[in-house]
Amino acid sequence: MKNFDLEEPESLAEALALLDEDDSAVRPIGGGTALMLMMKAQFFEPTRLVSLRKVGGALGGIDLSEDGSSLRVGAGTTFTQLQQSPLVQKHLPVIGRVMKTLANVRVRNVATVGGNLAHGDPHLDLPPVWMALDAAVDVVGPSGERRLAVADLFQGYYETSLADGEVITALYAPLVEDRRAAYAKVTTRASHDWPALGVAVSLVPDGDVIADIRIVLGAALDMPTRLTAAENVLRGQPAGDDLLATAGETAAEEVDIESDHRGSAGYKNHLLKIYLGRVVRELMGR
Amino acid sequence: MTVDDPAHNISQSIPRLEGRQKVTGRAEYVHHLRLPGMLYGKIFRSTVPHGRILSVDVSEAAAVPGVFRVVTIDDIREVLPDPYYGPAFHDQPVLADGKVRFAGEPVAVVLAKDPRVAAQAVALITAEYDELPSVDNEVEAMTSDIHVHDELKPAASFPDLNHLKGQSGTNVALGYKLRHGDVEAGFAAADHIFEHTLTTQPVMHTPMEPFVSVADVRDDHMTLHTASQGPSFVRIEIARLLGWPENRVRVKVPFLGGGFGGKLYIKLEALVTALSLLVRQPVKIALSMEEQFFMVTRHPCTFNIKSGVTKDGKIIARACEVIWNGGAYADIGPRVTQKAGFTAAGPYDIDNVSIDSYAVYTNRPPAGALRGFGAPQIAWAYECHTDMIAREMGIDQVDFRRKNLLRNGRPQASGTLIRDAALDAVLDRAAERLGWSLPFDPGGGRIKRGRGLAVAIKGITAPTTSVAIVNLYGDGSCGLYIGTVDMGQGSDTVMAQIAAEVLNLDASKIRVMHTDTDVTPYDMGTLGSRSTFHMGTAVRLAAEEARDKIEALRVELDEPAGSNIPLSELLRRKYGMQAGNIIGTGSFIPEYEKPDPDTGQSRAATPFWGVGAAGAEVEVDTETGQFEVTRLISVVDVGTAINPKLVEAQISGAAIMQLGFTTTEEMLFQDGQLLNGSLADYKIPNMLDVPRDFRNEFVESRQQDGPFGAKGAGEISTMALSPAVGNAVADAIGTYLLDMPITPEAVYRALHPADGDA
Repeated sequence: MKNFDLEEPESLAEALALLDEDDSAVRPIGGGTALMLMMKAQFFEPTRLVSLRKVGGALGGIDLSEDGSSLRVGAGTTFTQLQQSPLVQKHLPVIGRVMKTLANVRVRNVATVGGNLAHGDPHLDLPPVWMALDAAVDVVGPSGERRLAVADLFQGYYETSLADGEVITALYAPLVEDRRAAYAKVTTRASHDWPALGVAVSLVPDGDVIADIRIVLGAALDMPTRLTAAENVLRGQPAGDDLLATAGETAAEEVDIESDHRGSAGYKNHLLKIYLGRVVRELMGR
Repeated sequence: MTVDDPAHNISQSIPRLEGRQKVTGRAEYVHHLRLPGMLYGKIFRSTVPHGRILSVDVSEAAAVPGVFRVVTIDDIREVLPDPYYGPAFHDQPVLADGKVRFAGEPVAVVLAKDPRVAAQAVALITAEYDELPSVDNEVEAMTSDIHVHDELKPAASFPDLNHLKGQSGTNVALGYKLRHGDVEAGFAAADHIFEHTLTTQPVMHTPMEPFVSVADVRDDHMTLHTASQGPSFVRIEIARLLGWPENRVRVKVPFLGGGFGGKLYIKLEALVTALSLLVRQPVKIALSMEEQFFMVTRHPCTFNIKSGVTKDGKIIARACEVIWNGGAYADIGPRVTQKAGFTAAGPYDIDNVSIDSYAVYTNRPPAGALRGFGAPQIAWAYECHTDMIAREMGIDQVDFRRKNLLRNGRPQASGTLIRDAALDAVLDRAAERLGWSLPFDPGGGRIKRGRGLAVAIKGITAPTTSVAIVNLYGDGSCGLYIGTVDMGQGSDTVMAQIAAEVLNLDASKIRVMHTDTDVTPYDMGTLGSRSTFHMGTAVRLAAEEARDKIEALRVELDEPAGSNIPLSELLRRKYGMQAGNIIGTGSFIPEYEKPDPDTGQSRAATPFWGVGAAGAEVEVDTETGQFEVTRLISVVDVGTAINPKLVEAQISGAAIMQLGFTTTEEMLFQDGQLLNGSLADYKIPNMLDVPRDFRNEFVESRQQDGPFGAKGAGEISTMALSPAVGNAVADAIGTYLLDMPITPEAVYRALHPADGDA
């Protein structure tokens, strides 16, 4: 590991000034749980790290919008803060459930919502859940501020649409009446392994009918990916076994899962079919 | 004047002597050690599994500011003219010499004051290779035209390998043979023949403390500070390499953060010694967790097992062929091949047995001992096989085992008699804990349930020696000088208990010296569940000698026999002040007869028998193949449990480790390259993977010639666990899996064999 500068600015403006839009060796760092592993493995050799830990206000807080239509989560919020937030527990109970299977206490105490998204690691559990919840992020950088859907953040394997010098400041999760969400983390080895795949689903039921649904597949592809064809099979339909089987087939067909250490492509396709059905059944109370 | 109450140190769960040091972070480890002027070495490794080295360009690395020197084998030869080492074969070069034999093999070392500078410089080294075809699989290696070594170079330390010297054109380092009765006649007489081939995968020791060694060469002597389980062997082998007498090589070992058989023989010691000799400064090399994958692994094996059984369920013939994938350097593989080979037919009384066990070289990281010297790999095969026979013949699996089990007084396949082996007791206890005689709910619908058990036996590395010194000081306090390394198993505490029991002292007041070969006497190594039996006996003998000397002193001072005057007072009277010592020494080597090389027959092949059973229950999700081990029971025979709490910790630690080797751990290779060389991708179990109902027990038993009736415990619960889990999975799904590890995908494919694509 080469020497590098560690900056700990106390305001967002100061942090942005310390970043460099032309130098990818200058990086912002949140909890650092992922970046430090890359540095130890010499995959990433920074010249300067700009810690966002002391920025405070602009990156902090969990607040309900005035009209109650969305929840804002500061990008510097740690997973433990997220897990323990009464607002999150009330409005996004799925997040609390995901946390129980995500990493460990030491990691959750420092890992941040913004860093987790900006890292662009396809194996992470939370990004597909945010996508299923139709969340968006605010991004600030040299060319000003913009808001984009979490779905548009991911561009490929460890690739995001964030430019050098840009920082995620907050996440917005819309709150939809009657919406339910769940995530299945599917591991095939030790319990603390990365998932072989993750299936995140949010849906709005109308009696036995699935009025609306979003399905996101994590971990099995280069990036979290929405399964729109499978959604189309299910949307507006009662969630019967045959339809769920069809949706599973459709899901497996619309993506190209590759074999890796955690399972062959065929096996992971099978797991996708099974777990999509299980998650939807669970959400429909069946 | 008072005397302590008579000691009652045996079968007491005395807290670990080092517990407080460890939980307060004060225990000494080599990783903490910094010496004045010390350089750090970082290793540049081969990127190809097999190739001739055309060139190694170190110029850019050497130019990095802060780099002291970059070293290749040519530099090493300046100080070690014949830089090859190994316990069985002198086949491993200190750094790659002309050829690389596995991807990850050390080729060069950068030395710098700052380890980060050294690591940065390593990234600037380049090497060119003339790549050679490589051989990966042990079965292919038996007959392959690709030869990992041009010529076999057995070490003199194993006289039974000498005939291999100079042999070339083979990857077979050792072929072990056992013949008992007439196996072909047995098959001819049998009503049923069963034959299966089972395999185990490559796995790693994964100690929390990675390998680390520091060498400090001064003028005509040197000190090695090393995380080693075998300091006496290290001294002998380093002295041999240097051509020095043993008394100029000092090996010091503090606590170890786990060893499991990995930290045996020479690992980094020869390399740091050569480097320190070369630069005349202390040199430290500390591997990262990721580098451990390239140091030493556990042998995968392919085991073909065939049994002949009479119609009433008696096994009358068993033929075993075991091929061990030893990787690029033999390490202790030949011993694994022999020691595991000799019990490859399992704990059964079979009149006709033939065993062939082969250690073969491949282009993989070297394999060595790992918590069982091969016993867990062979038990996987013979206990799944035994279960399959019982199931196919419609005989209850416990009854079938009971009918065929070896009993005390009967000869094992080697001819060595079974004695003090509680095979029935461990099997019965495991069956009882499983509720074997009670109805079992097999589940239904999506979740199916199964249960299974297994029983296993192992011989112990022999013959091996332990020497101990008990030193009672002028005030009557006691120091114990032994070469047993406490790597977490609690040996300091157990040895103190044995000495204290003989000397009527309080075990917690005894000071156990950590190995320093200048001070502590010889011990063959902390390995193979041997310390409690061997070193424990040496400690008992040493303490008895000290006790006899104290009695002699009483007589000399005209005290009546049985007088309760304390030792401190006796010494004060003899020397006129607080002075003097009482020193007792003990040396122990068990009876041993070398097995006949053609038949493996021996009247004394092992000093005692390691005996264990396991039971498991599983729940299988039949839609996905995902399964949970819901109940895991390990029952072992350790003779007298000198410290029951430590024994239980040994059983549970070994069981969790073996559960990982059974279900989650596998080093994956493709074209000789390791694909998952980090703990993010190589998954050891964590506490959430430990079964809900997890029991670790020992049975009432006594090893007649063990210290206070004790024998070893470290490896015993690794043996029967994998087949118990495998047999439970088979009970649930109706199909036996033959290849380890048992993964959800393998279970799924067994459940849905027709589902080719999925």
